[in-house]
Amino acid sequence: MAASDPSNVAPHSTEASSPVEEQLSHLFGSYKAEWLREQLFELFTEPTYFPELKTPRPCVLVGGRGTGKTTVLRCLSYEGQFALSGRKGDSIRDWPYYGMYYRVNTNRVAAFKGPEIAESQWIRLFGHYVNLELCELVLNFLQWAQLHSPGDHLAAHDCEEIGVSLHAGPTHDTKQLVSAVRRLKAEFEAAVNNVADAHFRDLSLQGAPLDTLMKAVASLTQFTGKTFFFLLDEYENFEDYQQQVVNTLLKHAGQSYTFKIGVRELGWRRRTTLNQNEQLTSPADYVRVDITSRLTEQDFSQFAAAVCNARLKRIVPQVEAAIHDVSVLLPALGEEAEAERLGIAEWWAATRASKKLGTAEVATLDQLPPLEAYFVVYWADSQRKSVAEVLMERAGDLTGWATRYANYRYASLFSLKSGKRGIRKYYAGWPVFIQLAAGNIRYLLELVDRSLIAHLQNGGSLSSSVPHDIQTDAAQKVGQKNLTELEGISVQGAKLTKLLLGLGRVFQVMATQSAGHAPEVNQFEVKFPEDASASPAAEVENLLRDAVMHLALLRFSGNKLQDPSETRDYDYMVHPIFAPFFVFSHRRKRKMTILADELLGLVHNPKRTIARILKSQNRRVEREPLPDQLALFEGFYAGGA
Amino acid sequence: MRAVRERPIYSEIFQQFDEFRPHTGAVYVHGESLEERSRHSVQWESASPTVKFGRVSDQQPTSFQLQLGGNAYRVQVRSAQQLRALWTNVAVKVVYIDITGLDHSTWAPLLISALSFGLDVRAVYVEPLEYAYSKTPTEGDIFDLSERIRGVAPVPGLATLVDAYAESIFVPLLGFEGTRLAYVLEQVQPSGDSIVPVIGVPGFRPEYPFHTYLGNRASLSTTRAWHHVMYARANCPFSLWYVLGDIAERWPGKVLKVAPIGTKPHGLGAVLYWMTAPGSVEIVYDHPVRKSDRTAGASRTSVYYISDLFAGTPVPRFQNVPSS
Repeated sequence: MAASDPSNVAPHSTEASSPVEEQLSHLFGSYKAEWLREQLFELFTEPTYFPELKTPRPCVLVGGRGTGKTTVLRCLSYEGQFALSGRKGDSIRDWPYYGMYYRVNTNRVAAFKGPEIAESQWIRLFGHYVNLELCELVLNFLQWAQLHSPGDHLAAHDCEEIGVSLHAGPTHDTKQLVSAVRRLKAEFEAAVNNVADAHFRDLSLQGAPLDTLMKAVASLTQFTGKTFFFLLDEYENFEDYQQQVVNTLLKHAGQSYTFKIGVRELGWRRRTTLNQNEQLTSPADYVRVDITSRLTEQDFSQFAAAVCNARLKRIVPQVEAAIHDVSVLLPALGEEAEAERLGIAEWWAATRASKKLGTAEVATLDQLPPLEAYFVVYWADSQRKSVAEVLMERAGDLTGWATRYANYRYASLFSLKSGKRGIRKYYAGWPVFIQLAAGNIRYLLELVDRSLIAHLQNGGSLSSSVPHDIQTDAAQKVGQKNLTELEGISVQGAKLTKLLLGLGRVFQVMATQSAGHAPEVNQFEVKFPEDASASPAAEVENLLRDAVMHLALLRFSGNKLQDPSETRDYDYMVHPIFAPFFVFSHRRKRKMTILADELLGLVHNPKRTIARILKSQNRRVEREPLPDQLALFEGFYAGGA
Repeated sequence: MRAVRERPIYSEIFQQFDEFRPHTGAVYVHGESLEERSRHSVQWESASPTVKFGRVSDQQPTSFQLQLGGNAYRVQVRSAQQLRALWTNVAVKVVYIDITGLDHSTWAPLLISALSFGLDVRAVYVEPLEYAYSKTPTEGDIFDLSERIRGVAPVPGLATLVDAYAESIFVPLLGFEGTRLAYVLEQVQPSGDSIVPVIGVPGFRPEYPFHTYLGNRASLSTTRAWHHVMYARANCPFSLWYVLGDIAERWPGKVLKVAPIGTKPHGLGAVLYWMTAPGSVEIVYDHPVRKSDRTAGASRTSVYYISDLFAGTPVPRFQNVPSS
């Protein structure tokens, strides 16, 4: 009962009404590596850390969702290399390395757990499974290589030895070996599906068949002196003990092959091999490449601009005077200009009309730039002083005043349009988008995609820059989209969404009521009670770990030396991508302390906890109506949970 | 490709549940959940003295307790031997498996083992009168059905380990809860053009397909999978079975990754397809913990004559079941 035949459907008929919008939607909207398929390689832009991954050393590539791990690993794969080298079969022999990509499939590895057998038995089963999987991966590569660049075949005695190692029976050539591995997997599948019956005979020794196979492959003429990479993506999907199994392979890999691992921050939970005393350490055992910390803001800006500009150039037909520089398409907005758009003129007219100020003060303020005049009044209110007093202070210490103004100017913008409808704060410009993305290329592409599509839908073109309000609206929508998606990202998704809604509201109110307080507070440290037994420590730590892993929060190391898997010694910040949605500062600035039980309270009892946290910061939530875009969550903020 | 309505549907539908009586001398396996509609079997039991009723309790992810004919069995679902022993002990020819109050991890292994044992297997399902609406609805969360999800893992006994490197088509069988679709999409990570969602049409009620679209709107739109939506009768596993066959035929050689996150009859159709498909099928399930008050009332009762589907045809998956 097919409603539609995919091949007959007009593509994307409601999402993008013009071919250009459709192309934009594909080039920028397909921000997940898996959506781009083959085009992934054509659009690949080499990040600065890429050369490090090409070395024969084991590497662990750490980065949040959307930082480009999959893209990079797939571009290291033989399929990627082939595409990147122009699909020339002749060149295959010249490659210095051959990468084989393997994504850890949760749905498969999760079959290897349960109470029916002991963990030690699961380890044996899983070790055998990994042997089968990786051997099949290598055999697939050999078949592919023979097809594109024929060379020597595996020797009969090698095939026999590999077959014996896998308990596959007699195998004399690659083809037989491939069939044997597939048959073994089918039999093994049935055995795992009936694990309680313990039909496990002939399990291979962990790593042994792989070593034998790789030794044989490396001895082939066409691969002499070459290195083979196993590119294991989404390492976090392994169970803890499974990570130990694969860690063991990584630690004891043969000479001709190595592992490149892609994992989310905090996703590498076990650092030991199956020998509990054998810890994997960097740089002794592997090179750790932490994507976000490797890319400085400037590096990321350059990299992201290259990624976006390459996409812009692919749009056909190009409009006349098309702008190919994304930073020009997305102009920034200065603070004075922003104040103007936020209605500073109306504020000044109302302030004058209120007759709260004397003629002299009005005259002096009239001489100042509007935002500075606003700041004088803002400062006077926060310090419970008269405007005249503040103006005198200013006149008496212009340097001190300039510093203060510089510190608070940006923060003061958040209160200018407090409680009013429409845009309350602008988030526009390439540098701002770079900060919102915080090193995450997927977020950046989403921001650009939403901005450009909305721009075109509003009658703009790619030869004109995107207005600031459209950029801001796009940034809010991207924040909202990622907030709503958070619920589906992990098993703790609902809790993460609630945590974020709670924190977002706290920082939004603090941003709006910043007068008299430290400006731009948007980070926090978590204070755990002294008595660990009385605390909800485990739940809080799990929540924080998941929040960091799924990019609800960013974390930064303090001054202490820590175990990277620890959660306590870090400072946290709501990911800046959510700042436009909640309306607080996206810049990494000042921090506050939140108690562990308050953090849980934001999830379980948001209304009361938000009020409690804000009270401890001398703010009042009831004074602050929800911004328009948060109205959708009114029920959440009004409720107990 | 023939329309589903022209293909045989091995079902009987009863508007009132007291119209249905299990076959004389059969075994009727059922479980009670906290939902009202799972409690009807008590009435059938009192009206069917020749039928042995087996009550499942303590459903765990890998085992369950069965009280049948004065005996109590603790059955591990990843044990072909224990499941076969169960059918050997009860020594009947016809078995009803009432999936209404049973978890996927209970009814699916029971059903597979009963079929492989050669029994005449019939599944029973009672539709709810209505689903609970969320008190604070947001996009993708209109209904209030699941407490939480335990995470993606195979339905016990239905893990697929073969064909890890084959290209795949992802087939989510949609329900109302958009977050469940979002979650399985995040786990499977299919490309947009390889997602073929299936929506239950006609739904249990006429408006339900629209709720399904609304609940899943965000993911359907982001992935553009809405272009490829197919439909199968919400209360019919056979319709779904045919639709999955059609999908496999359209994309030959590809593994079907089927996520049964919608109606239970669709889940049943997915399991039947997993057993019978000539190519590879992987069931991707998120193991939700259902809310106690997720539905109210009981509506139509469907009886599915599962064995009729297999009459005379070999079942590929049975060939790999290890003998004891």
